[in-house]
Amino acid sequence: MSRRRRAVGVERFEPAPLDAPLLEVEDLHTHFRTGRGVARAVDGVSFSLERGRTLGVVGESGSGKTVLARSIMGLLPKSNVERTGSIKFEGREVIGATPDDLRELWGSQISMVFQDPMTSLNPVMKIGKQITEMLLQHLDISKDYARELALSLLESVGIPEADRRLKEYPHQMSGGMRQRIMIAIAIACGPKLLFADEPTTALDVTVQAQILDLLQAQQRERFMAMILVTHDLGVVAGRTDEIAVMYAGRVVEKAPTKVLFSELRHPYTEALLRSIPKLGAPSHTRLAAIGGRPPDIVNPPAGCKFSPRCPYARERCLEEEPPLIDTATPGHEFRCWIPVGTPENREALEANRAAGAPSALAVVGEGNGMGTAAAPSAPTPHTRSGSIDTKGGA
Amino acid sequence: MPEQSPDSGEEIVRTLVADEQRHDLPADEPSLLIAAVEAGPEIAHNRRRRKGLGIGAWLAIIWISLLLFSAIFQPLLVSTGVIPDPEAQELPEISGTGEALVVAQPPSLGHLMGLNPRGEDILSLVIEGSRRSLVIGFVSVFLGFMVGGFLGLLAGYFKGRTGGFIGSLLDILLAFPQLILALFVVEVLGHTVTNVTFALAIVSTPVLARIARASSLSWSEREFVVAARAQGAKHRRVLWREVLPNTLPAMLSIALLGVAVVIVAEAGLALLGAGVAPDLVTWGNIIQTGVPELKDSPHIVLAPSIVIFLTVLALNYLGDVVRARFDVREAAL
Amino acid sequence: MRMILLKLLRLVVVLLVVSFLTFWFGKLIGGNNDLVAKMIPFSSEQEKDRVREQLGLDKPFFTQYGSWLTNFARGDFGELYTGTGKNVTSVPVSEIVAKRLPVSLELMLSAQLLALAVAVPLGVFSAYKANSKFDRGANMTMFGLLALPPFVVALVLAIYLGAQWQWLPTQSDLPNFPLNPLENWRYLLMPTISLALAQMAIYMRLLRSDMIATLQEDFITTAKAKGIPPHRVLFRHALRPSSLTLLTVAGLNVGALIGGAVVIERIFKVPGIGGQLAASILSGQFIQTQSIVLLIAVFYVVLNFAVDILYSVLDPRIRHARAIA
Repeated sequence: MSRRRRAVGVERFEPAPLDAPLLEVEDLHTHFRTGRGVARAVDGVSFSLERGRTLGVVGESGSGKTVLARSIMGLLPKSNVERTGSIKFEGREVIGATPDDLRELWGSQISMVFQDPMTSLNPVMKIGKQITEMLLQHLDISKDYARELALSLLESVGIPEADRRLKEYPHQMSGGMRQRIMIAIAIACGPKLLFADEPTTALDVTVQAQILDLLQAQQRERFMAMILVTHDLGVVAGRTDEIAVMYAGRVVEKAPTKVLFSELRHPYTEALLRSIPKLGAPSHTRLAAIGGRPPDIVNPPAGCKFSPRCPYARERCLEEEPPLIDTATPGHEFRCWIPVGTPENREALEANRAAGAPSALAVVGEGNGMGTAAAPSAPTPHTRSGSIDTKGGA
Repeated sequence: MPEQSPDSGEEIVRTLVADEQRHDLPADEPSLLIAAVEAGPEIAHNRRRRKGLGIGAWLAIIWISLLLFSAIFQPLLVSTGVIPDPEAQELPEISGTGEALVVAQPPSLGHLMGLNPRGEDILSLVIEGSRRSLVIGFVSVFLGFMVGGFLGLLAGYFKGRTGGFIGSLLDILLAFPQLILALFVVEVLGHTVTNVTFALAIVSTPVLARIARASSLSWSEREFVVAARAQGAKHRRVLWREVLPNTLPAMLSIALLGVAVVIVAEAGLALLGAGVAPDLVTWGNIIQTGVPELKDSPHIVLAPSIVIFLTVLALNYLGDVVRARFDVREAAL
Repeated sequence: MRMILLKLLRLVVVLLVVSFLTFWFGKLIGGNNDLVAKMIPFSSEQEKDRVREQLGLDKPFFTQYGSWLTNFARGDFGELYTGTGKNVTSVPVSEIVAKRLPVSLELMLSAQLLALAVAVPLGVFSAYKANSKFDRGANMTMFGLLALPPFVVALVLAIYLGAQWQWLPTQSDLPNFPLNPLENWRYLLMPTISLALAQMAIYMRLLRSDMIATLQEDFITTAKAKGIPPHRVLFRHALRPSSLTLLTVAGLNVGALIGGAVVIERIFKVPGIGGQLAASILSGQFIQTQSIVLLIAVFYVVLNFAVDILYSVLDPRIRHARAIA
């Protein structure tokens, strides 16, 4: 049965011209109907991704980054969800595709590594079965061959004694090991696009880097495009081609990775960057948390969604929502009226500080040891390094 | 999935079944019925947000009230002639050869549930029978609730030796088939209403005890109970003030289901010829007298059966409502 | 392994106490201690004395208990005495059990199979379409079935299918329990349905609620993201972890119903073990009563034990945890 369906699927999803981007998302909205009202989890996101490239999606919890990934995959609950806009995979529209067509995409063309490997593997099914099941579903191969493939997959994701592991259950393995297996499952059918939804959040810090390196290595080796979703700018720093920072369901800043770290313009990006612990900082240095609450996506504030927590917010920010503004650097865009690093921005901070706005005062208060963009003594703060920051306020 | 309150009946029964795995406790049929009623909240609180009781709950309350009313005021109803005297027999028709014809009659306007072969009005028999059947149902569950609930409360709170001892005691009681045990007690003690009540109380004790134990266990591990003990409160006080009040709502819901189970058990005993002596009217005995007449006058069996079905349905529904209400309170905390 | 041994030990202790109580209770049916008089009331005093001597009723209580228990363990369940006057005859209880137990088992298993055959697909589909019209309808129906006592179903079936429309045979139509498969099947159909309906409702509701919880799990999303079709996701991925409660309950139920189907066996005059036991209690056949009650209890407790083991086979996590313990 799966074979017949596959034939149909192949016809519909025949390869698109190679010059088209692999994934094109345009004005994507995902709204949940909740008891309190409509939650705009994803609110007008657009981007495109070329083959073999990587995109980092960064934001706090509630920023809509996970929902974005699931919206693109089409893995949302059936009821009380509304998804509009356009998602083109290899030039073909995915929104409105039939479940059968989607299943042809899932696993074989697009796949996903989930956050928690403890709960994402079926606890009562052997590892081997969980991998071969997928191979047999999508590829026209024999069971023996599927087993061989599974074996080599496990080896390629760095699992020792793969032969024995195939016969084990997930609970017999460590978290890192399970995430390796999730990765093996995700890449099994050679997908063109891989989502990694906070793949290291649930793991021990000591294995986080290994898993990220593994993902990166596999991505390069197999020429997969990858979307890496995380709350940690540090995770995506050296591993992506491009980064999109999300806040309240919107992309607030998007830039090639290097550009973002050197020329960041949005106060939220700045805040995220500041909240990464820095190796050079003295121990017990207070981390700069982002003050205020995460965005309320049911009743978002008027104007700029970040304005209630922004140290630079002026009247205009509270009233009028900024559009995406292009910068001189190609591919770099942001949503802010008073971008970081401009004279207006300095003035705004000082004015807010004078007025006693808590968000502005917090920036100064934490200047101690964690000097930042806003600290008066650091005139050009955004030169992409953490080391100068430590001296900032001292 | 919203988190279930730990002592909604479903959770309790789940704990029970899990417990089963740990202690070889046999699962008994009544517990299973209760489990199934409590599983799946879709019936009573389908529209939880709406305040007040649903129409189903009102129908259930009306039915139970009607039963209780007619049972309590049965003598009055008979003396005022609203219903015929259950003792009164309509005279049989005499055939041409002088032979008495069977007077069992299907339901009619005069006799809503028809007549039995002795010419007695079945509706008034059913009302007469409800006096005994309801007493048996409520009293035996009340007794079982008192003894079993107490044992279970202790067993769940003192997990160590006391709990183990009570647990073994329940194991032993539950190893006997429930209905057989009841039948046995009645046979030894005699076929009176008191003895049947007593027998069914014995049978329901371990069932209710196990449920109480599961509930008590889950509450005894809560922070506020642990905190109360850490502050030096006496066991008796912690049990009485902290654990008991919290287990009560769920237990009440289960007791209502228990009454339903017992009412059915009474009828089951009667059908075996092992219930209350046949000359005393109970729902079970009315059905029992109708069994030989199945073919010609099915109404004798059907009328009380329908009454039992509606009563059980109403009790199950009310049990579900109690649980649903309780869950709401829990969720609001 | 240690766990299993401990459980076995506990099982033996429980069974010993149960056996003692069974023996003691059995003696109580006689009421005035004259058990034999109740058992064979119409026999002559001479005959009664002979039987008394044969049974060793004059020996101390514990001696009697001991010999009863050892005989039971050897498979000798005692004798069933019947007769009037001088013609007291006896039949080994084990023979009666051998004839009746299979009938009860057949009825039980067929009821369980029917209940599961309906409940599993219904429960799975209801959970898959949770809160749909179908789900609500199915749930409501099952809630109603739960309130329907098996004997009511039995009586209604007997009235319509049996007596009035005569589609299926009732007990009075057949002198003996039919062994011919087709007849046997037709004969057992009504008792099976009567027992199965309530079970069905229990299973369906338990499975549905477990299934709904399982379908929220992350690994189900993983399975979907792998491109596995829904029926496979439901039956291969979700059913097994959801069916633990169901299987436990179903397994235990076979045990519970062996003695619990008495009423149904009685209504349809199925020559099963439950009916035999009820009759023997009511007629004061204490030897038979003791043996059958203990037999059912053993069956029940051992079945529990088996279900317990089976449970760990089904959920590798438990097996693993136990291996550690």
